[in-house]
Amino acid sequence: MTHAGETRTPSHTLPDVCVRCATCMAVCPVARVTPRFPGPKQAGPGAQRFRSAAEASVDDWIELCTSCRLCDTVCPAGVPISELNLLAKAKYLDERGRTFRDWLLVRSDLFGEMAARFSRIVNPLMKNRAVRWLLDRVLEIDRRRALPDYEYPTFREWFRTRPAVTDSGSRPRIAYFHGCFTNTNEVDVGKAAVALLEAHGFAVDVPPQRCCGIPRLGVGDLQGAKEMGGRNLASLLPTVQEGTDIVFSSTSCGLMLRHEYGPLLNLPGAEELARHLFDICEYLLRLREEGKTDVTFRPNPMKAAYFAPCHLKSLNIGLPALELLRLVPGLDIHLIEMDCCGLGGLYGFKKEKYAITEDIGRDLAVEVARIDPEVILSDCEGCRMQIRQLTKRTVLHPIQFLRDALPQPIAGFSPTSP
Amino acid sequence: MRRWDLIVIGTGLAGLTAARTAIEMGARVLIVGRGMGSLVLFGNTIDVLGAIPPGVDLEAGVTNWIAAHPDHPYARTGWAGIAEALVAFRELFPPPYSFVAAGMSNSLVPTGAGTLRPTYLLPVTMRAGAGITAAETLIVGFRGFKDFQGDTVSLHLKCRGVNIPLPRYGLEGLSALALARLMDEEPFRNSLGEVIRSQKAGEKRIGLPAVLGLREPAAVMEDLEGIIGARVFEIPMLPPSIPGVRIFNRFREHLIAKGATFLMGNPVTGATVKDGRCEGITICNPPLETTYRAESYILATGRFLGGGLWADMERVSEPLFHLPVSQPTMRGDWFQERFFQPEAHPIHRAGIVTDMALRPVDEEGKTVLSNVWVAGSILARHEAIEEHSREGIAIATGYLAAKRALTL
Repeated sequence: MTHAGETRTPSHTLPDVCVRCATCMAVCPVARVTPRFPGPKQAGPGAQRFRSAAEASVDDWIELCTSCRLCDTVCPAGVPISELNLLAKAKYLDERGRTFRDWLLVRSDLFGEMAARFSRIVNPLMKNRAVRWLLDRVLEIDRRRALPDYEYPTFREWFRTRPAVTDSGSRPRIAYFHGCFTNTNEVDVGKAAVALLEAHGFAVDVPPQRCCGIPRLGVGDLQGAKEMGGRNLASLLPTVQEGTDIVFSSTSCGLMLRHEYGPLLNLPGAEELARHLFDICEYLLRLREEGKTDVTFRPNPMKAAYFAPCHLKSLNIGLPALELLRLVPGLDIHLIEMDCCGLGGLYGFKKEKYAITEDIGRDLAVEVARIDPEVILSDCEGCRMQIRQLTKRTVLHPIQFLRDALPQPIAGFSPTSP
Repeated sequence: MRRWDLIVIGTGLAGLTAARTAIEMGARVLIVGRGMGSLVLFGNTIDVLGAIPPGVDLEAGVTNWIAAHPDHPYARTGWAGIAEALVAFRELFPPPYSFVAAGMSNSLVPTGAGTLRPTYLLPVTMRAGAGITAAETLIVGFRGFKDFQGDTVSLHLKCRGVNIPLPRYGLEGLSALALARLMDEEPFRNSLGEVIRSQKAGEKRIGLPAVLGLREPAAVMEDLEGIIGARVFEIPMLPPSIPGVRIFNRFREHLIAKGATFLMGNPVTGATVKDGRCEGITICNPPLETTYRAESYILATGRFLGGGLWADMERVSEPLFHLPVSQPTMRGDWFQERFFQPEAHPIHRAGIVTDMALRPVDEEGKTVLSNVWVAGSILARHEAIEEHSREGIAIATGYLAAKRALTL
């Protein structure tokens, strides 16, 4: 017998479910560093009771929510706090209008391929002090924030042109959602994903894909996010309908695809996609627990620190990367006991918010200094960017580290030297 | 499908204690909670049985209490079970941030409402608050920090109290968490200490809101004591409770380091029960529902606030396993005539009745589920609020439930 649980309540009535216990006030990274943001309790359900679709938005601090969603993960009453914030932010920005900067930043997927192709020009340009001063003054992209380098060939280019795997016809298939950043800025993460999946016996497909749409959600552009979601569903649904599972290596893309396309954006087919979509470490760990793999890792007597991204907590799958890393013999792996790196994706590039992201990140930097690891591992590209900037240390995706610990060097993959 | 030895449902003190006890026994443990659990709300000191007056030996007091209350959850653990579980709890908090008792009995500590409350174990940062006298005590609040008013607390304690400005401009309206974070920074607490010293008029003990840092609270206290030249103590206050966050974080850190899987943020929406055994629980993270399976399960979901018990207009129910709930026969009998009166409201005694091993039983005393154990405040026939036994019940029954679940 299966007991039916709670029935879902329409979200417009959910502010009243809040008992104002203030648990969310114990984890909100923004309220931790500035009194300018009143915190999830007040900004979400508290203010929601006074909001009306017919009236203009009054709370300009709503923009300070980073959408880390930690509040959702601790709420004992099940209030979708971050969703209430997101909808209020969307309404506020719909009324006020978005800046050209915000329009531009959320479309990085459009110029990413081009920037990658001309990376030898673009990268030095983006480090040029005059250019950064201009970006700072004109676009209000904070000049203190390190901009990520573009890489060429892109991941897709590399994947398309590499020699075919000889026995791929007889292997079980798996599809990989790489995300924009892996494609144009951190190609080695994609290479590591392919190497690990192939080492586990799969033939890897890379279906056509667009930006997942989460940057658009960040500026409250629900319609834009919906369009991106629709395009991805059109290309990914056939893959899962053939019986092929999809794995992702970017936590935030994965959260968007798995948990926002359906519940928030109401896109048809979202639930079917979600059922076949997995975090890559979650998937590899599951294979291991089901006894479907005998892949072992080479000893690596390093001291490493693992940081769990906020959106991994929202995926609510535990810490699969950490569990896999524990299988590397001799690895001294520490969990960084800190909530939120502070970057908040594109939030951390915006001039008016940079100080907040630096302040939040400082706590993490103190923890890293205390552990003093040789390498830091985290699943989210935003966290990796922020931790690199804060600590000036080597920061990798756990799958890059795991790939390097595979027993035989994989042909065509150069190990990452930390 | 992955299998665990034990799934603990609930991330309050009872669930955390059960998970930790199990993991020390070598079990593979999954702990799940719909939220962060009640430690962030109420977690401060460890009450065992505040009904025993200070000065009376707690072991003798509790032993007599159990004899007079044979239905009480403590009758399942006995004093020996409580003591053993408390030793294990204290081991998790080695110095400098340790939990201490004032001898073998309860002590009275001040609260954020300005009352005195009996409790047993105190974090070292609250030790100097036990047994304060009006003449030697100064209560200090911070201007702009709404959750704690030094002058109101002192009014009730009949001692001197002040609200001081924070040493840096623009900090008015900060949350307790933000203040705790600033306290972890030496320059901040040093300048705060200077301000407090200038306010001192010969007092030997200084009471502050319980925000003395998250990372190194004992060092924060010692630094302040050095600068001020007086003992410093924290006073528990409104949620979120920073001392509760410290307890939660310590448990979580320990559990994850030992290999437990921690899932938080989504409700357990269903349980599959077959032939009197739980075969799996379902967690809903929309749009996905995932089933998790283990040999044994511990239900530590708390009472009404945590969602462990559910009350409609007529009845109290347990929503996950639909366990029998001991409760007053009619709604009219739920409450006393007045909200504040010394006797407990009868609904406070509602909850799950268990056998001696903490497995749920029906009205006839027959075991309902053979692989489910129940721990914490969801248990029936205690009056945790009135008798001041909340944390003691959580720790003692969480510990016992895990022991029983793994040695069946």
